[in-house]
Amino acid sequence: MKKFIKWIASGWMLILFFVGFFLFWEYSIPLFDIPRYILPSPSEIVLKGSADLDKLVYYTGVTALETVLGYIIALILGVGFGIAISFSSILRRTLYPFFVSIEMTPKIAFAPLFISWFGFGLMPKVIIVVLVCFFPIVLNAILAFNSLSNELTLFYQSTGASRLKTFFSIRLPAALPQCFVGFKYAAINATVGATIAEFIGSDKGLGFYISIVTGNMRPDLAFAGIFFLTVLGLTIFGFVTMMEKILIPWHISMKRINK
Amino acid sequence: MKNFIEVTELKKVFGNGEDEVHAFGPATININSGEFVSVLGPSGCGKSTLMLMVAGLLDSTSGKVEFENKVVSGPKTDIGIMFQDNTLVPWRTVRGNIELQLELRGLNLKDYQEKINNILKSVNLDDFADRFPNELSGGMQQRAAFCQAMIHDPKIILLDEPLGKLDAMTREKIRADFQKLWMVKKPTVIFVTHSIEEAVQLSNRVILITPRPGKIDREIKIDLPYPRDLQIKRSAKFTEYVNSIQEVFHKYGVI
Ligand SMILES: Nc1ncnc2c1ncn2[C@@H]1O[C@H](COP(=O)(O)OP(=O)(O)OP(=O)(O)O)[C@@H](O)[C@H]1O
Ligand SMILES: [Mg+2]
Repeated sequence: MKKFIKWIASGWMLILFFVGFFLFWEYSIPLFDIPRYILPSPSEIVLKGSADLDKLVYYTGVTALETVLGYIIALILGVGFGIAISFSSILRRTLYPFFVSIEMTPKIAFAPLFISWFGFGLMPKVIIVVLVCFFPIVLNAILAFNSLSNELTLFYQSTGASRLKTFFSIRLPAALPQCFVGFKYAAINATVGATIAEFIGSDKGLGFYISIVTGNMRPDLAFAGIFFLTVLGLTIFGFVTMMEKILIPWHISMKRINK
Repeated sequence: MKNFIEVTELKKVFGNGEDEVHAFGPATININSGEFVSVLGPSGCGKSTLMLMVAGLLDSTSGKVEFENKVVSGPKTDIGIMFQDNTLVPWRTVRGNIELQLELRGLNLKDYQEKINNILKSVNLDDFADRFPNELSGGMQQRAAFCQAMIHDPKIILLDEPLGKLDAMTREKIRADFQKLWMVKKPTVIFVTHSIEEAVQLSNRVILITPRPGKIDREIKIDLPYPRDLQIKRSAKFTEYVNSIQEVFHKYGVI
């Protein structure tokens, strides 16, 4: 409770801003005579959206499954390749420049191809999520595992510790903060990837829903879909941020923000 | 008879071509077992470079380092080394950082708890054992790093400006404690410092290094009894040593 009060006290400006924003939205619709098929008011979105709640919840589940599955696969592959590339000079000269150059192409442009290759099901969406999440994760992981300070490297060498021991005692914890930069960036990308994949070809999910209701001139429902998408995105990002706090509570940059 | 540590015609050149930096040497240094040797020289003369080569952590361009007739060809693990920048990791407490040294060496943490407490007390950090490095001042971090480097009771100790960031009073205290420790356990110490007084107070012998590329200007044997307390530091002989070293560096224009 005390925490909640403190939170309100520190966040009141933001809360005020949001309340003001939605009030302005609500009352500018009649004020400026905006037609509801262009922009519905927040109250209408809530009203119409709740009538369609079953569908929205189900579709949120569908999109969440694609997103989370793709994200986890990207996480495993990204960290795995990141470590492999950091510790192998051959991979660093082959795979690494290859990844860097692919990073430049907008991965989402592959989406129509994947849909045409793998059909409408779950798999092409997961692949697209993996694709958009993998690169920020792997590139940050490479950076993370290569940036151990010179002194720490010399220090563990002078102890004669095995590579495995050094990895778990020094290299891995030292790399985690930079790894999380990639994890967080990928978490933001993940829902974007899933949504666009659903836009292009699917028969369920929030992206599918938004594109259908928009076609039917129902922006109120489209906004309801966007709301659920936002909640999904925030939940995933929030979870990753929470993991960061649990795994690396010592991380200085985070401590400064908390203060 | 051969010396305990023999550094022969050791030289280091970093980079090549236009970027070449002749950092150190060639220089020859012999050190006896149990001897306390300070290395004194202006900034950038290659003191840290020398220390890393002695520890086997940096390859030399030419020359060799031998410990008891064995040529050093890789990292030496039977030493305690303290680098110029501290090696505390931010995710462990002070105690955890000291334990890291033991863990990496595969030593049993339980056997060392008493010792950790004692060494922390000796540097006045016993109240901060469970704090993280970023909660400590620069000088406190350096003291913690000192404990980390010494906890496994090394017979050979290499210290690169271990007291550099400390205030004058703490510095004085740790010097005295370190001297006591050395008198009891008689490890072989190579001590890099900027402080002439510190070098004279602690060492059997002070090695003066010329500006870069560092060569040995001269070695000065310090003939004063241990423990070198305040009284000895006030003696005429002590002042004489300090002055003679100052004159050498004055000649080079570095002071
Ligand atoms: N890894 C490196 N690559 C290139 N040059 C280096 C490297 N390390 C040191 N040097 C150069 O070698 C010279 C000696 O450096 P070193 O760190 O040994 O000096 P130092 O005597 O320890 O100085 P200080 O008292 O300031 O610590 C310097 O000119 C430095 O620029
Ligand atoms: Mg140095």
